Amino acid sequence: MASGGGHEVSDSTAGILVELHAASFGWSGRAVVGPVDVAVQRGDYLAVLGPNGSGKSTLARGLLGLLPPLTGRCTRWTERLGFVPQREALDPVWPITVEEVVRTGAAGRLHGLRSFSRTERETARARMAEVGVYELRKRPFHALSGGQRQRAMIARALVSEPELLVLDEPVSGVDREATAAIRELLRALVTECGLTLVVVTHQTELVRGAATRAMWVDGGKVREFDAHMLSELRGLDELWTTRGGRR
Amino acid sequence: MSCGPRAEVVADMDDFGWLDRLDLFKWALLAAVSAGLVLPLIGTQLLLRRTSFQAIALPQFASVGMIAGYAVLPWWIDTFGLGGLTVDQALEDPHAGTNWHLAWAALAVFMGLYGLVRAGRRGQPSLEPVRVAAAFAVASALSYVLGRLSPVGRGHVDELLLGELLGVGVHEFETIAVGLFVVAAVFAWTRHDLLACAFDPEGAQVLGKPVRRWEVCHQALVGVAVSIATLVVGPVLVFGLLVLPPLAARPWAHSMDRFYGLSAALGLLAVLLGTVASFELDLPLAPAMVAAAALFVVPLAFVKRT
Repeated sequence: MASGGGHEVSDSTAGILVELHAASFGWSGRAVVGPVDVAVQRGDYLAVLGPNGSGKSTLARGLLGLLPPLTGRCTRWTERLGFVPQREALDPVWPITVEEVVRTGAAGRLHGLRSFSRTERETARARMAEVGVYELRKRPFHALSGGQRQRAMIARALVSEPELLVLDEPVSGVDREATAAIRELLRALVTECGLTLVVVTHQTELVRGAATRAMWVDGGKVREFDAHMLSELRGLDELWTTRGGRR
Repeated sequence: MSCGPRAEVVADMDDFGWLDRLDLFKWALLAAVSAGLVLPLIGTQLLLRRTSFQAIALPQFASVGMIAGYAVLPWWIDTFGLGGLTVDQALEDPHAGTNWHLAWAALAVFMGLYGLVRAGRRGQPSLEPVRVAAAFAVASALSYVLGRLSPVGRGHVDELLLGELLGVGVHEFETIAVGLFVVAAVFAWTRHDLLACAFDPEGAQVLGKPVRRWEVCHQALVGVAVSIATLVVGPVLVFGLLVLPPLAARPWAHSMDRFYGLSAALGLLAVLLGTVASFELDLPLAPAMVAAAALFVVPLAFVKRT
């Protein structure tokens, strides 16, 4: 087991992939979210819901080890993590093709001065085909629609063969049709590929009927609630009221 | 730009045909070709990281370092010695002179880079261009002040500031050719890691990439390329080749490999066109090459934004 800065990575084979114990995360020493206790289990589809600016993305970064816990402890039982960032995090100045983006998912396996192997190139193409962007592989990444871009980013994350995939607002700025397609893709990743998902979103329709667990984040406070409730709600506003959120 | 002995620049160039001129200035032209091929590659990384302002400031830091090298040379030789050379011998010896000034240029560039990166981490990101502009202003003023104060090498300092490179000799060419070849080779080998860490730093970190270490690698490539190139071909050409070819190539490039290739090709073309313009119109060589590179940017005014 390696540890540092409150983060620990274990080689245990228990069903837990990431565990937070009274952990809080934030920026410049100021806690934005937490303290929170949560254990992400293998096979979970965990929806992290809440209004904009509530601390959802900060919590996701904490789970991934991108932010050290300010208090408490974060234990990761796997190093096979994948991340799909918010669309706005990627600068459109890059003249990069879809295939080049997806191939960067194999960068974790590059050591020293080695380039991508034929197997890694084939893996990248296979993942593109699985998420439906193979035909777009030569297109400039930033010329794609929002939904196509998110699919390409999911393909990139899958290239690294993660056990746990964290997606930060995957359908932000994506139209209704593409949102439905991404919802089905995520559901298939859990049910058919056995992937564990943490999806940060403020759009309940993305995770409704698919998420097995749900958390509500507001004002830095985190509460878990029954994911079946999502099926009975029309949107975040209703959930907000139900969870006693503040406006 | 060299600091050792230079080829005699002949006063009346009209007596020389094209082949004679190419032969006379072959080391200068080969040095410019090396810079034209490699500096735009480094420039692509600056453009994509939105740090192209560094391309203006860093060569100026290198100039300050070299001029500081002239300023302290007599004191250094009096105090510590320099391989038993006198000041005049050190100025005229191609190896000692180049190595001495390269060390000073590299010191100034890496100090400047360190300062900018550190200020960038602590300060507001939106003020980055202001910080770099301020650094450029200070370095620019320092280069003139130190040039005036320097007891030796006044002619070399003037040439450096004017951007003249015709006096480049074989040793300076060897220095830039070897230095930039190493930079290009390291860049080629590490480009996938550099891309992954710069395109999506958080994603790369999740994949286990040591993002900060790769950022240091990028800064080292920039520092080495700028130090060597400024020493040999001068800051004017370095400014131009770092910024203009990648800027001109960007709208026409739809993949990273094409972006790299097109930037290097435009850099080479700018050097060749600038040479023709310089010989035909009797213009200073380095500024003519930069003016040629600027021509490639003109179509950007008519290109639809992507």
